[in-house]
Amino acid sequence: MENFLLRNIDNPNSADIGEYEKSGGYKNLTRALGMEAAEVLEEVKASGLRGRGGAGFPTFMKWNFAKADPKFPKYLLCNADEGEPGTFKDRPILEKNPHLLIEGMAISGYVLGAEHGYIYLRGEYPAAKDILEAAIKQAYEKNLLGDNILGKGFNFSLAVHQGAGAYICGEETALIESLEGKKGQPRTKPPFPVNVGVWDMPTIVNNVETLSNLPLIMEIGGEAYSKIGSEECPGPKLFCVSGFVEKPGVYELPMGTNLKDIIYKHCGGIKNGGKLKAVIPGGISTPVFPADGIDCAMDFVAVPKAGSMLGSGAVIVMDESVCMVKVTYRALKFFEHESCGKCVPCREGTDWLRKILERIENGFGREGDIELLLDVVKVMIGRTFCPLGDGAAGVVTAMIKHFRNEFEEHISTRKCKLSEAN
Amino acid sequence: MITITINDKEITLDQPMSVLEASRQAGIKIPTLCNHEILKPYGGCRLCVVEVERMPRLQNSCTLIAADGMVVKTESDVISEVRRGILEFLLINHPLDCPYCDKAGECELQDLVNKYGATAGRYKEEKRKVPESRKDQIFARNMERCVACTRCVRMCHDVQGSSSIAMIGRGGHTRMEPFTAESFNCEYCGNCLTVCPVGAILSRLNMHSFRPWQVDKEVETVCSYCGVGCSLIAQVRDDSIKRVIPKLGLGVNKGLLCSRGRFGYEYIGSEERLKTPLVKKDGELVQSTWSEALGIVADKLTEISKVNSGSSIAGIASSRCSNEDNYVFQKFMRMACGTNNIDSVSRTGFAAAQKYFEDLLGQGITGNMVDGLKHSETILVLGGDPTNVNPVLGLSIRQAARDGANIVVIGNAGGLEKFKTVQVVPHVFEEAEVLESLLLAVSKEKGVRGERPFVDKELRVLADRAPKTDVEGFEEAKKALLESGSTSIVMGMDLVQRTDGHRLLFTVAGLTYLLEARLYLLCERPNEQGLIDAGCVPEMLPGGRPINISDFRAKFEAEWNGTLPENDGLTILEMIEGARNHTIKAMYVMGENPAFNLPDSQSVKDALSGLDFLVVQDIFLTETAEMADVVLPALGWTEKAGTYTNLERRIQLQKKVVEQTGGMEDWRIIAELSNKMGYAMNYSETEDIMREIARVSPLYRDLSYNEIAQGNCLWPYHGEPLRGEVNEVPGMHDVDKEYNADFYLAVEKPLFHSGTLSRRSEALMKIYPEPLLKVGGSTAAKIGLQDGDRVQFTTSSGTIEALVAIDDSIKDNRVYYSNNFRSGGVFSVMKFNIDKVTNAPGIEGCEVRIKKL
Ligand SMILES: Cc1cc2nc3c(=O)[nH]c(=O)nc-3n(C[C@H](O)[C@H](O)[C@H](O)COP(=O)(O)O)c2cc1C
Ligand code: SF4
Ligand code: SF4
Ligand code: SF4
Ligand code: FES
Repeated sequence: MENFLLRNIDNPNSADIGEYEKSGGYKNLTRALGMEAAEVLEEVKASGLRGRGGAGFPTFMKWNFAKADPKFPKYLLCNADEGEPGTFKDRPILEKNPHLLIEGMAISGYVLGAEHGYIYLRGEYPAAKDILEAAIKQAYEKNLLGDNILGKGFNFSLAVHQGAGAYICGEETALIESLEGKKGQPRTKPPFPVNVGVWDMPTIVNNVETLSNLPLIMEIGGEAYSKIGSEECPGPKLFCVSGFVEKPGVYELPMGTNLKDIIYKHCGGIKNGGKLKAVIPGGISTPVFPADGIDCAMDFVAVPKAGSMLGSGAVIVMDESVCMVKVTYRALKFFEHESCGKCVPCREGTDWLRKILERIENGFGREGDIELLLDVVKVMIGRTFCPLGDGAAGVVTAMIKHFRNEFEEHISTRKCKLSEAN
Repeated sequence: MITITINDKEITLDQPMSVLEASRQAGIKIPTLCNHEILKPYGGCRLCVVEVERMPRLQNSCTLIAADGMVVKTESDVISEVRRGILEFLLINHPLDCPYCDKAGECELQDLVNKYGATAGRYKEEKRKVPESRKDQIFARNMERCVACTRCVRMCHDVQGSSSIAMIGRGGHTRMEPFTAESFNCEYCGNCLTVCPVGAILSRLNMHSFRPWQVDKEVETVCSYCGVGCSLIAQVRDDSIKRVIPKLGLGVNKGLLCSRGRFGYEYIGSEERLKTPLVKKDGELVQSTWSEALGIVADKLTEISKVNSGSSIAGIASSRCSNEDNYVFQKFMRMACGTNNIDSVSRTGFAAAQKYFEDLLGQGITGNMVDGLKHSETILVLGGDPTNVNPVLGLSIRQAARDGANIVVIGNAGGLEKFKTVQVVPHVFEEAEVLESLLLAVSKEKGVRGERPFVDKELRVLADRAPKTDVEGFEEAKKALLESGSTSIVMGMDLVQRTDGHRLLFTVAGLTYLLEARLYLLCERPNEQGLIDAGCVPEMLPGGRPINISDFRAKFEAEWNGTLPENDGLTILEMIEGARNHTIKAMYVMGENPAFNLPDSQSVKDALSGLDFLVVQDIFLTETAEMADVVLPALGWTEKAGTYTNLERRIQLQKKVVEQTGGMEDWRIIAELSNKMGYAMNYSETEDIMREIARVSPLYRDLSYNEIAQGNCLWPYHGEPLRGEVNEVPGMHDVDKEYNADFYLAVEKPLFHSGTLSRRSEALMKIYPEPLLKVGGSTAAKIGLQDGDRVQFTTSSGTIEALVAIDDSIKDNRVYYSNNFRSGGVFSVMKFNIDKVTNAPGIEGCEVRIKKL
């Protein structure tokens, strides 16, 4: 398949509007503005596009809810917080292909009747901020943003808002709170952002990659788009592969590409001929696959069936040299650090889990620790306010399920064999 | 109609609500921690989880809105397991120091763990350590006990509107912190204390001195500070008040209090309280006995009334005393001393305004429910900051603002900075012109109603003047008023204390009339309204009956067995003038401090020193008492019973809570004196007095303590107002003066203080220990002042030295200084002229020079 999201990526000037236009950029916006908003929406429906932010929610449905709300103004927010460990798929778009996102947002704004857009950008992406802002400026200059875009009577303003380094601000309602200038913590749903979002107005939050698919849908039509990749969740997908592979990086592949193929075909297999031990398929908060569990189509339907989640498509590959207790401990250290503190099960649960795991990893494990971990996890799963806490608990459950022996060994030998070896 | 099933019980709801509220309505208990009935739901603790059919995971009942057909289970093995788990989680980092914590016994976490928690903990790791902070004078903050429910923050932000605290940190490091990190430096309402479920924020007053279960009694009574009349509960141990708390849902305040009400109770146990009568001998006040002191007073007053006639005696009543005290006082002055010279300091504000408005618009025009403010579309605020003078009333304005009402502020009102929609700051002393122009603009749109000839006539006069509309915000203010379907006007007394006060009051009256607005008068003291109703005014008998109408006099004479003096008495400023020129020989002051609380206090002192005889009845040796010939110790708040009438005209009972020896109730002192002077008064308790009031005063007709105790006794109760008809009001005077000085001195009404009482309340003194000269940002810039600079400020009558506090909410060139501290009250350097219509002192235009030291 020809690259679309990563088109132009090797051109050192890819972020420039001239280069973007040379390869057909902004034609799709012109095309969309020539149609009725409802017609464009029909194309989105036909495309079968599902959100790339992690949950895979059908984009058409979300948009339809927001459109049905009679309140104005409506806001379009692009979720560029990309904070989950292992995830770096939005970054090439933001840094190398910013106009694709801008064009996608303008088209989306037109469909939704939203006149204001914000890109909520991860605080640790300072380069992207400059690149995006320069690109936005260029787009304004060419009247691709601003008032009466291309003379079609559509107004759309766009600005970048930089986060301050909290993972939770990637959760859409926490993102909204943060954008409003408050402490980033999730809100109660319902009401959903599509009805009561930023400044209490209807708000659409979509991932960078999701919005960047809009020009393609315009270019080839919803029908043709729906033929790419998996039937139930079509389209191109960015996979960011890290860890023990020969060629880590971001790959644009059709949705539904087999995980085995991603690792062995596209990424050149395990690094230095090592032996695969485990793969986390969709970012640190998704349950781990053991080495024999990776024959799985990577899409929003098949991965859950196999016991994990596609998440952000962040594939983390680990070979036999990696200690799974340590990985679990590191993951929980992350979750404990990033728990927003709103709900008790996550706030206290991640703290407790981390402390137990840290002990085990450092050779101070006790009899009964594994059962205790599972008991703590039980209080968390399904009880936390937002998926962050659930995710943390799920990591521990999966790790113990597949690698219980490593935990037991740590406890009985009072040390971490692999850490010592390294 | 929504029907849901909870635990197999079908429940029909008549309005949308959460599953938690629906369960409570049906009497089904669900444990909660982060939820609080006066706050918006939060959904953080997750103790309130329930099972809902067809929903995959457990649901938070506090945030889940009940939908038709829902089937809910509130108890199951899974649910209990979750609750136990959550409670265990809540305790893992908790210090478990209940034996040391003041909250033990009324701690929600303790109760929950007792009822739903596990018996043993499994947590063997290290606990988070956060040292307790005692950097604030009033609050101790212990963040190891904090359960991060955010109730305090939601209270402070969503209800109090102070936004002084926030949750900081993430995850396990989440904790509440004031923005200054050290002291709270906030409004000190203490409402966060009310909602904190655990011992994470505690009051340092009486810390570690009692346990909640050790209080001997809890008495529901009313606050002694301002005219809102908040209900509160005094908790007593060993005959001393240990704590004052509000009660959810009760009274005007419905669970909220302000700093004075909550923390200002210590004055009552002050070492400085008067315990014995004092009599002046050789120029010194010395301890005496009741019989000696009362004997002297009775003899002296009898003698003066015989020799010089009753009209040479004057009485000053008290807006801090009860209806019963004041009723007995005026009856005593009229019948035993033979004078109608009865007035109060309230004449300098509330009483003057009240009279003006009633004369113009009819009796009862200012009696409106505080709750009504919340339902306004536009609220016009002028003449003072409601959030300082009547803090809990101020909260209703803030609430209205949050609900989308337009708040139009004229002049300065710092407490509404974050809530106002538009502010109009007329040039100092152009207020009358600007307000008249506003009134004119409104009348142009609304037309003339034709019901109040005087108002209509004056409106026509105004129409000939050139309007002054070139003030920022004028048009917006006008629009907000004209477009409002429900308007409230909240007026502070700064508008009254002016030489052109009547002109300003006229504009307020005109706006009230044309917009059919609810009018609220800010009321600094607890019984300014009751004092008027009780007849402590020179021209009216109890119930607002004019003294100069013989029919009314005859009725009272029949009830009171004697003859009433016929003519209107003197107002308070006229009395002081009388003392100065020796036409007034004797003065009886009950619970008031005119030598401090009247403007130009130094000259008031001089005048009082010319009296032949001065009696002061008080709970403290005030500046006035120090000058007296006889001082009689009275009883204060919580030491005696009586009724008070708040600014809404709600009649409420203050109850006796503690025993005090030494003093006597004000009414009892006066009754004894009266008996000695030959005019019989036979009351054995306050209820006897109320029975008499209910008989003679048409406003309180048939009112009984029983009914008052049941709450919601709003005036006129069984009675009716005297007249919808109005009095003739003298026309307008032009006050032609030029005001071109750089700065003007004005009176600060601080949130934390109120006269004689607060400066004897340790806690309030800690919050605001010394008076500060408050200056606006532009004033400060003009003369290069910084926060904390020491300055000298000088008026034509004196100089005061003070520290400067810069307050950016002051938008004009006024500088503010308070009259609430022991030394150097602002009134000592302010002269006044009298507004000829309202008889109130005009203290505006007090030029001041400021020198940095
Ligand atoms: C803890 C947490 C972190 C998240 N972080 C991100 C993120 O960094 N980027 C993102 O696009 N979505 C993130 N999400 C998902 C968003 O809440 C939301 O579902 C998404 O932005 C919707 O966009 P989509 O429909 O285009 O996928 C996160 C969700 C959770 C619960
Ligand atoms: S699960 Fe709870 S504490 Fe954790 S991030 Fe979500 S809301 Fe915050
Ligand atoms: S005392 Fe009142 S103003 Fe101060 S923090 Fe508590 S709620 Fe806020
Ligand atoms: S201080 Fe009290 S009310 Fe505030 S968050 Fe902590 S426990 Fe809750
Ligand atoms: S009471 Fe419902 S979550 Fe706390």
